[in-house]
Amino acid sequence: MKRRKFLQQSVLASAGTLLIPEFLKALANPLKAGNSKGRVLVVIQLSGGNDGLNTFVPFGDDAYYSNRSKLGLKGEELLKVTDHFAFHAQLKTLSDLFHDGSLAVYNSVGYPNPDRSHFRSLDIWHSASNANEFWQNGWIGRYLDANCGGNCKPHSAIEIDDTLSLALKGETINGIACRDPKTFRITALNPLVADIATNYTPHDDDHHNVEYLRKTLSEASQSAAYIYQQSKIYKTTQVYPQHAFGKHMKVVSELICSGSETQIYYVSFPGFDTHVGQRGQQNRLFGVYNEALKALYNDLKAAGRWNDTLVMTFSEFGRRVKENAGDGTDHGTANVLWLAGGGLKQKGVLNGPPDLKNLDDGDLIHQLDFRRIYATVLSNWLDADADKILGHAFEKLTFV
Amino acid sequence: MSDNRKKVQHLFLRAGFGETISGGRKKANNSLQSLVDGLFLDAEKYRELDIIDAPHTDSKGKVSPLQLPSIILKSRAEMERYNVAWMDRMAEKEGQLRERMTFFWHNHFATSTTFAYLMQVQNNTLRYYALGSFRKMLHAIAKDPAMIIYLNNQQNKKKQPNENFAREVMELFTLGRGNYTENDIKEAARAFTGWQVDMTGFYKFNEKQHDFDSKTVFGKTGNFDGGDIIDMLLEKRQTARYICGKLFREFVSEFPDKEIIDQMTKVFYESDYDIGKLMRFVFSSSWFYEERFIGCKIASPVDLLVRFRRLNSMYFTEQKAQIEAQKVLGQVLLFPPNVAGWKGGRNWIDSSSLLIRLSIPKVMLDGTGLDLRAKPQFEEEGKAEAKKVKMKVDWARLIDQLKGIPDDEIEEELRAALIQAPDDRIDKGVLRSQIDRTSRDKRIVSTAVALMSTPEFQLI
Repeated sequence: MKRRKFLQQSVLASAGTLLIPEFLKALANPLKAGNSKGRVLVVIQLSGGNDGLNTFVPFGDDAYYSNRSKLGLKGEELLKVTDHFAFHAQLKTLSDLFHDGSLAVYNSVGYPNPDRSHFRSLDIWHSASNANEFWQNGWIGRYLDANCGGNCKPHSAIEIDDTLSLALKGETINGIACRDPKTFRITALNPLVADIATNYTPHDDDHHNVEYLRKTLSEASQSAAYIYQQSKIYKTTQVYPQHAFGKHMKVVSELICSGSETQIYYVSFPGFDTHVGQRGQQNRLFGVYNEALKALYNDLKAAGRWNDTLVMTFSEFGRRVKENAGDGTDHGTANVLWLAGGGLKQKGVLNGPPDLKNLDDGDLIHQLDFRRIYATVLSNWLDADADKILGHAFEKLTFV
Repeated sequence: MSDNRKKVQHLFLRAGFGETISGGRKKANNSLQSLVDGLFLDAEKYRELDIIDAPHTDSKGKVSPLQLPSIILKSRAEMERYNVAWMDRMAEKEGQLRERMTFFWHNHFATSTTFAYLMQVQNNTLRYYALGSFRKMLHAIAKDPAMIIYLNNQQNKKKQPNENFAREVMELFTLGRGNYTENDIKEAARAFTGWQVDMTGFYKFNEKQHDFDSKTVFGKTGNFDGGDIIDMLLEKRQTARYICGKLFREFVSEFPDKEIIDQMTKVFYESDYDIGKLMRFVFSSSWFYEERFIGCKIASPVDLLVRFRRLNSMYFTEQKAQIEAQKVLGQVLLFPPNVAGWKGGRNWIDSSSLLIRLSIPKVMLDGTGLDLRAKPQFEEEGKAEAKKVKMKVDWARLIDQLKGIPDDEIEEELRAALIQAPDDRIDKGVLRSQIDRTSRDKRIVSTAVALMSTPEFQLI
């Protein structure tokens, strides 16, 4: 490329950043990380495909029992919340939140042309693409790209894990994966790594990957230090289950209560692929989920953070309406999704019950695209440009 | 360091999985052309990677449907065995170029099925054609059992066409997005109807499910079958351009250079898709050795793990650990994330994965193991206490490679062997503060560990 042309292009490309003084940039981007009115989003992913019909049970529908002659929940296995729906008995916290007005439930959430592969369907939920598109970044990552005017930090979105999911990968910035603040800090304190990170000075040529890696390392190191500092500020007195998911939720709770500038937390809870022996498996997993959510609620309530926290729980797909021969259920499509928090504008069951009679090859037909929920959360909860982040204008809902 | 050594190492890192330390030193003065010739000569040998037995057939040559569950059950372990065997093969001295190309095609025709044996069949098909005719390869892949299952061509029937294969063959395997219409896909799907897999895992043309009526694709009308569609795709220069763009990204740089890709396209298209000819052109061109391309590429997790093995004989104490390491770094052979494959480049790097990469050398030195958990399989539940990923290193082998190098040249020698990217930002003082001078052996090992812990080492 000719130098003159190159200069012209770079001036154009960087006009938005280079030519505007720092203080003006700050004014132009009032929604810096941690300042979206202090609001927090917690995403819980039940991996493996949770059986939604045995989670939020449409006990008022005879078709439920005719399809679930062995697995259908009844009597003491149910916590009734309306005359049509009941929660699985292990989910007492959800039922309490429901009565408290801190829970919103959507039935049959999914997307067109559903994919029944765990990997692919999770990809679709993470990237928020259409089923026939393959996007290489995720909705939360693109939120980071779009929202902080280039000033988002990796710890603006934290996944409590050792590896980062597609959902948190953006085009220019990624969230950070941190399973345990202390271990993570120690990794970053490896003397060689720490030295490179502390002595980092930016170079102009960020086209070269040396600069890219050094910059990423410096940010990682700063985030590790930040997360570690924050994790020491608040120590919960609540009892979290002795289970990986319990430990991860405890990390989330302590960071929120300590006032970390993190806006989004992401936690996965695997084990929901219940092809065989579903009853025992789901009981156990829901027991853990229930205790962890209860502890989180108590923590946030005590710290005065419940009203600005939104906890969304989803799974990559629901399961077949009809049970299988192995006391389990197979991969299905649309599923129940719920949101908990003190800042909900609408509560209760927010759409119609799942239609168990008009099925697509034995599976539920989705009545709500999950991207409308993402759009609502991005736009109304995180004050972000949802259309831009999702690449399409999905009609917003009004739960927040 | 001699300029030529960097170029030699560049060639071996891109056309293979990297030279050893002593190998790079010995070849430093060889002519690049003679080394390219040597790589291609070595690649002429075709060695199947054949370790999984075909499923048992009965007297009529069929696999009973009753066997399917047991085949699927043991398949996962077999896939992991194949994965490890392939990693071993990549770390061998022989066959570097052919394995590197096979690895590229594995990502291009990204497939994953629950039948390990069929993955082996496909892997060998890719290995066979890796440097041959892309035309023949594409025809073979369209009839490849794993691909047929993965992209639902088994369900592509006259009365109810399934467009999955027809779509991906255009979008991902040949033309790229925006070079065909939805109608082209619909019509092409009809041409592939009845292309199925039989119960023994072989391709079968199911006449009853094939649509013999006329179809209109790319403005041409006729009674096309799948083979005709593939030839029509290859007729388009855009296919050559698209493949060359991907090859450029993998073998040269993730930032496209239109002029070079044009040259590559011309060679590829005019040779009727001769992959060997194209790659020979790439590795023999002076632009391939330009400074801007040397050490500019972020090593993929597989690149990184194989390079460790080739440099210092790192090995994993258990097969499982080898898989876990790939998982935590984000790339597991035979398990691409989806049909679009691994994106590569900067997509490999996030704060966490970079910290993991940079801590591996120290973990190798301490022998403590990586305290990390990969995301569990879907059928598994998360375990709070997972086993550490243990790696062992045969440091003697590394030390041996520096035989004859005076003590005060160790640092310079290792720098030359290990760092391809511009190394002016590696602080001498910091580096030296990490060096243990209590013995020659310790000096070598600690210097190597320090250099391998730099961001620059991630660039090949």
